[in-house]
Amino acid sequence: MVWCGAEEHVLDAARRAGLTLPSLCEQGWDTACAVKVLEGKLDHSDARRYYPQDEEAGFALICTAKPLSDLRLRTHQSAAMRVHRDRHGLPAPRGT
Amino acid sequence: MAVREKPHARGKVKAGDVSQRVGVEAIEARGVDVPQLVDKLIDAAGAEFTTYYYYTILRMHLAGHEDYKEICEDARLEDRAHFELITPRIYELGGSIPYDIREFADRAGCPDAYLPGTANGKQAPSADGGGPTAASILEVLLEAERCAIRTWSEVCDLTFGKDPRTYDMAARILNEEVEHEAWFIELLSKERDGAIRPSGHFRRGTPGEAPYSKNAGFYNP
Repeated sequence: MVWCGAEEHVLDAARRAGLTLPSLCEQGWDTACAVKVLEGKLDHSDARRYYPQDEEAGFALICTAKPLSDLRLRTHQSAAMRVHRDRHGLPAPRGT
Repeated sequence: MAVREKPHARGKVKAGDVSQRVGVEAIEARGVDVPQLVDKLIDAAGAEFTTYYYYTILRMHLAGHEDYKEICEDARLEDRAHFELITPRIYELGGSIPYDIREFADRAGCPDAYLPGTANGKQAPSADGGGPTAASILEVLLEAERCAIRTWSEVCDLTFGKDPRTYDMAARILNEEVEHEAWFIELLSKERDGAIRPSGHFRRGTPGEAPYSKNAGFYNP
């Protein structure tokens, strides 16, 4: 369980709690920090590249996402998010 | 007396086989995931290339701040030098950059460094004084450099002790990206906050000198 402030990015809260999670650009662009949202809602407005299809499919980039509710997240979803982006013809770096 | 074969004269790659690379086999044997590394290098090359492009625009809009323009120009030319340095390594490892530049830009590992006030590059900035400020441009430059530092730190981590050639390249690029961040922290601190946060060094001797990635002698200001 990690406590995250409403104005805090989820990745920052996870780090504060001592978790080491993957990330790269930390600007909501690449998919290194991707998670699957199992429960709850997030504000993605700080992300540099995030699509409505990402949200519909339940993916979030936690380096720039802020909580709008309590959350349950599955981490390490970069590869799955890249597959999702490919399926929808959306861009993503290939090396993350 | 039998002639003993030298230990490194033969390996898995058969003599005359040009479909395999010993330079790849050697680093795979030391634990490098070469396809993953190539993908990361292409993403990174894309980021350096797009940054070079966007810095060209950012530099133009630092009109009246000639000192900032010169420093932005150094970073711009050095990012181009990084692209030039990475690309041969991608091919050496058996990869290639995308044949479509749109694909290349789309897969860049760092965000587009858009000129502020252009709605992410979709419109021209205001020309009547309400356009991007020097501080807003310096913020874009700073965050671009920070993404590059994260990228090259990761490549260093992946290759340290296993792939000296890629590691050496990544470390040289990282050296310059760290300097770029220091420059933009110094300039943004003064421009936006009126605060002094020295970078610890001065401008390059010649524009885009790239003291690490162009293999020039290290400087000691």
